[in-house]
Amino acid sequence: MKWSLWVFLGAAVALLALPLSLSEFWLFIAIEVLAFSLYAVSFNVLLGYGGMLSFGHAAFFGVGGYAAALLVKKAGLSAGLAFALLPLVAMAVAAAFALVIGFFSVRRSGIYFAMLTFAFQMLLYTIALKATPLTGGDDGITGLKPPGVLAQPLVYYYFALAVVSAALYVLYRLVSSPFGYTLRALRSNARRVQYVGVDVRAHQLAAFVVTGAFAGLAGAVFALSSGNVFPGWLNWTASATPVVMAVLGGMHTFLGPALGAAVYVVLEVLISGRTEYWPLAMGVIIVLLVLVMPTGLTGLLRR
Amino acid sequence: MSSLLDLLAQHFSWAQNPVVLARQTLAGVSNGMLLFLISAGLSLIFGVLRILNFAHGALFMLGAFIAVSATALLPESAGGFLAALIGASAGLAVLGAAIETGLLRRIYRAPHEFQLLVTFALVFILGDAAKLIWGREDNSVAVPALLAGSAQALGITFPTYRLFLIGVGVAVALALWVVLHRTRWGVLVRAATMDRAMLSALGVNTRRLFTTVFALGAALAGFGGALAAPIVAVGPGLHVQVIIDAFVVVVIGGMGSVLGALVASLLVGIVNAFGVLAFPGLAVVLTFACMAIVLIVRPWGLFGVPE
Repeated sequence: MKWSLWVFLGAAVALLALPLSLSEFWLFIAIEVLAFSLYAVSFNVLLGYGGMLSFGHAAFFGVGGYAAALLVKKAGLSAGLAFALLPLVAMAVAAAFALVIGFFSVRRSGIYFAMLTFAFQMLLYTIALKATPLTGGDDGITGLKPPGVLAQPLVYYYFALAVVSAALYVLYRLVSSPFGYTLRALRSNARRVQYVGVDVRAHQLAAFVVTGAFAGLAGAVFALSSGNVFPGWLNWTASATPVVMAVLGGMHTFLGPALGAAVYVVLEVLISGRTEYWPLAMGVIIVLLVLVMPTGLTGLLRR
Repeated sequence: MSSLLDLLAQHFSWAQNPVVLARQTLAGVSNGMLLFLISAGLSLIFGVLRILNFAHGALFMLGAFIAVSATALLPESAGGFLAALIGASAGLAVLGAAIETGLLRRIYRAPHEFQLLVTFALVFILGDAAKLIWGREDNSVAVPALLAGSAQALGITFPTYRLFLIGVGVAVALALWVVLHRTRWGVLVRAATMDRAMLSALGVNTRRLFTTVFALGAALAGFGGALAAPIVAVGPGLHVQVIIDAFVVVVIGGMGSVLGALVASLLVGIVNAFGVLAFPGLAVVLTFACMAIVLIVRPWGLFGVPE
């Protein structure tokens, strides 16, 4: 127990001190890592704990991104309000979408659940593409700047760190709670859990809404740092991103997907800086991952 | 109220124009036939191998690129186009067999997320491979001279190539029906879509069956790609939309059902052709809404069999 406490403290100090040693370019990458860590961990609460393969989680990441973008662009918040409101609004909007999509999707399981979430993601993608007055259509929403003091990258890094840490803490408490153990049981044998008298669909829907909300928060954090939101965030080619991150890091640990997200983002920066064939490299990495180390990076460490 | 009616009448005025109706129907049906060639394979592969092959659109795209090369090698001749069709089908059959034996065979027992990731990875690998081989430009393939004209009926002009596509689609559908219902291999395929474990227990070599099904599905996609080459822009982004349309078709028609793929392909082709006139911009949204509704109400599709 003591050992893990030291690791935790070390990681906290490193994350707090990290930006002081980074160039502005890598500071933005660090913010991206934070956002995608939350995205991947929230997705994995669904997959790794609940055994629910959502292939449409990019929908909520995108919805959160658009919510934040519209809030900043159209509502023109002051910095003080934005601190408090941005995360809440992004989460609330993503949760609302997740509630509707989840309501229908949890009626099916396995591959049909994956296809249903996928269909809804594509539905939202086409809406983002066609509702030009609101979403900017194909061009997306660009030129976003976080309000007030948040526009400074260093301040924004600490803002993102605080938001992501708080969100991860909440998710961790969630998976350690009786609710979390019910989710694990659902993954092992949903029918048996049902026989014990648990409302399976209600639990799955709750998990779907909560993880959708946090994916939305991750999208909001990333949107304001990158300065853009594009409909491509919701396209089918984005569906695999959280899955790859979760599998790469390791689905059976809480923070494994965060590690996967960090490795994925840094690899993308390094490889796409050298060649335009990043998709090819990623495809090969995915195939090797599945065939050679299906337990992911944390699985390797554990062995 | 009357102004609203006027507006509607104006909006739907094309509906009274027989030339527009005939033209859109022809475009819808011929596009539907192309869609059928992709989705029949996608559906069979899901039915037998239980794998959702996201890379199927990429296989279609490779078929179209092979047609670009074949017609460039043998320009200005009907032989070039014939070579394109044969080359694309054969090439993709070989590639399909290689993908199944080299890659997919290792993940049949893996969880869904690994299977989806692998076919997803294939999308990126094949997409970039096509860029490496054929470049990033859009290519066009000329309609073969024999089929370049148009036919007149009831005072309406139909492009011959569109009629040819419909004829080929019908022929492929009939051939598939004969193969699936009148050959031993077809019986095994249909049995596998119902109960693979039982088939295996009865001593059938399911490994070879899986390889041949994937190869046939890939060959159909390649054939479809080569057929589509003269009427689409053959570029590296071709597969992105194609696979989504095929996916919608397979969900609506029912995973594993070739008849379902045929009916749903024609449906989606026609709905798209008229949707762009009636509700510009909204047609795609409607397609996905339809797909979601089918998945909720009848997840095994119109012609599929519930598990």
